[in-house]
Amino acid sequence: MMDMRNLNMLKKTIPWVIIVLLAVFPLLSPDIFFLSIGVILFMYIALGSSWNIIGGYAGYLSFGHAAFLGIGAYVVALMLINYGISPFITCLLGGLLAALFAWIVGFPVLRLKGPYFSLATLCLGLAVPVIVINLPASIYGGATGLFMPLLPVDIFVNRTIFYEIMLALAVVTTLISRWILQSKFGLGLKSIRENESTAETIGINSTRLKTMAFVLSAFLVGIIGGIYAYYRTYIHPTTVFDTNLSIQIVLMALFGGATTWQGPVIGAAILVIIDQVLITAFPGAPAEISRLVYGLILVLVIMFMPHGIMHYILNWLKSRQLEAEDQEVQKSC
Amino acid sequence: MLSGYEIAHGLIGGIFVGLVYALLSAGFSLTWGVTRVINLAHAAFALIGSYITLTLLELAGVDPLISILFIVPVLFILGLGMHYFMIKPTAKRTKDITSASMVLSFGLYMIVENLLVVIFKSDDRVLHSRYSDLSFHIGPISVAMTSVTSLAIAVVSLGVIYFFLNRTYTGKAVRAVWQDMDGAMLSGINVESVTAITYGLSLASAGVAGLCLVLMYSVTPYIAFSWLIYIFLIAIMGGLGSIVGVTVGGLIVGLIVSLGSVFIPFAYINLVLFVLLIVVLIVKPTGLFRR
Repeated sequence: MMDMRNLNMLKKTIPWVIIVLLAVFPLLSPDIFFLSIGVILFMYIALGSSWNIIGGYAGYLSFGHAAFLGIGAYVVALMLINYGISPFITCLLGGLLAALFAWIVGFPVLRLKGPYFSLATLCLGLAVPVIVINLPASIYGGATGLFMPLLPVDIFVNRTIFYEIMLALAVVTTLISRWILQSKFGLGLKSIRENESTAETIGINSTRLKTMAFVLSAFLVGIIGGIYAYYRTYIHPTTVFDTNLSIQIVLMALFGGATTWQGPVIGAAILVIIDQVLITAFPGAPAEISRLVYGLILVLVIMFMPHGIMHYILNWLKSRQLEAEDQEVQKSC
Repeated sequence: MLSGYEIAHGLIGGIFVGLVYALLSAGFSLTWGVTRVINLAHAAFALIGSYITLTLLELAGVDPLISILFIVPVLFILGLGMHYFMIKPTAKRTKDITSASMVLSFGLYMIVENLLVVIFKSDDRVLHSRYSDLSFHIGPISVAMTSVTSLAIAVVSLGVIYFFLNRTYTGKAVRAVWQDMDGAMLSGINVESVTAITYGLSLASAGVAGLCLVLMYSVTPYIAFSWLIYIFLIAIMGGLGSIVGVTVGGLIVGLIVSLGSVFIPFAYINLVLFVLLIVVLIVKPTGLFRR
């Protein structure tokens, strides 16, 4: 019994220890390269966790989340360029506008089920950048994109600031995602995923829950998009509304296991590291080679673990627990 | 002001483009209908057809029409391979093959796209065949011979697929599996091989569509993604697995794209198509041509 309690304590403290260690990592004045990887890693964890609220828990696979990311990015860039307001404040506005957009789009799109929803969101993701490119170029940058002034600090401090902010965003979105999974809201979403019409017959307002999940997810992604835009300092419709980015998010969440809150964290961590290793493993080779290997890994992973890594870890833990209980029963006999 | 000439030009262009897109979407619609698999790599396989045509012409001077004889078997085998080595093992491990297949085929899409970049570089490629400089006149409107050729190929291919599905035993088996898999199994149809054939047919038709597209437009390895939105729209409008539906859907989309670009800036057409897709999905998600 004592062992179990210690194990639980350990399980609770280890993540926080890791987070604190990650937070103080810049104090070691590491190479800027590692801070940049950290920013990207935390961003994908945050994006994956936000996506998971609608995509994983409710089972509505959105392939167009880059639209929300891009809206956040553009709001922040426009506010900074035209009014000089700090992106760290306006990212909230970006999130709100992304949420509003999700709410409006959600009316028709969330009525679609399964693959139809995925295709509609995918097409949404393809259509939005076209609109942005064709907005008046003098204000919105058009096909040249928008440049933002850098933070007036040296590059190391700059990276550290974004590193810490992205880490905080990753932690907050993961906590929100975990809280939702354990709440009544999450249970409702899960019942929608399992069987939407049955969920409705037992009194679950599926439309309201889905809309809430979609809007919340878009809000978080919009905020992340705003910070990401300031990190890149240059945004262009094809980079912030990139459909590849939308699909990366889906992949990371599914790879880790989309029905769990840990899934996107693990998925993003493994895939970002693989991506970086591939880029450094083939120095001088064109980027296509690493993308090719990346695609191959994706195919293999989905083929052999279509439910994601967490699914297998949880099953394994469960079977071990059952074994341990069996042994205890045998001992007491 | 818009003249009748412009509109007529748009109309004819729309029919040409629409039928080629219909051929491109036919295979996608078939695999989705028969096996519940959404193949996001479908357009990438079409691009393989385009590059085979280009390479054969540039290296050996093979006429684009003859390269069909290479494209069909190569892509048919790729389709069989995709079924046996990717879809089948995945379907064993998951209940929700539709969602899994979207991610799976996106991985495949990345592989194909980057392979094409590695082999052929990412430059724009234009096909210069003996049809390129000829044109064909319908009244005052001249149409490039390449368009006429690809229209002919598309119509014949769609006809062949229609004939196969409606007149041959194997084709009827494909339709039976698509309508009711358990029932087909009970009546002694080998679902396994029928599914494999569906993939082969699907990718082969995509390859031929790729040939038609490279006759009409320049291609880069990255172009496949922009074809996808047309494929979705046509497949959904036409109703899954219906060749007549896909043909009509292709014509509608082709006419919208072609006539639309007469009235509004071309860039906004994707937006119009997106709105149309949503409307169709909500009003009649089973497609316009299926009960």
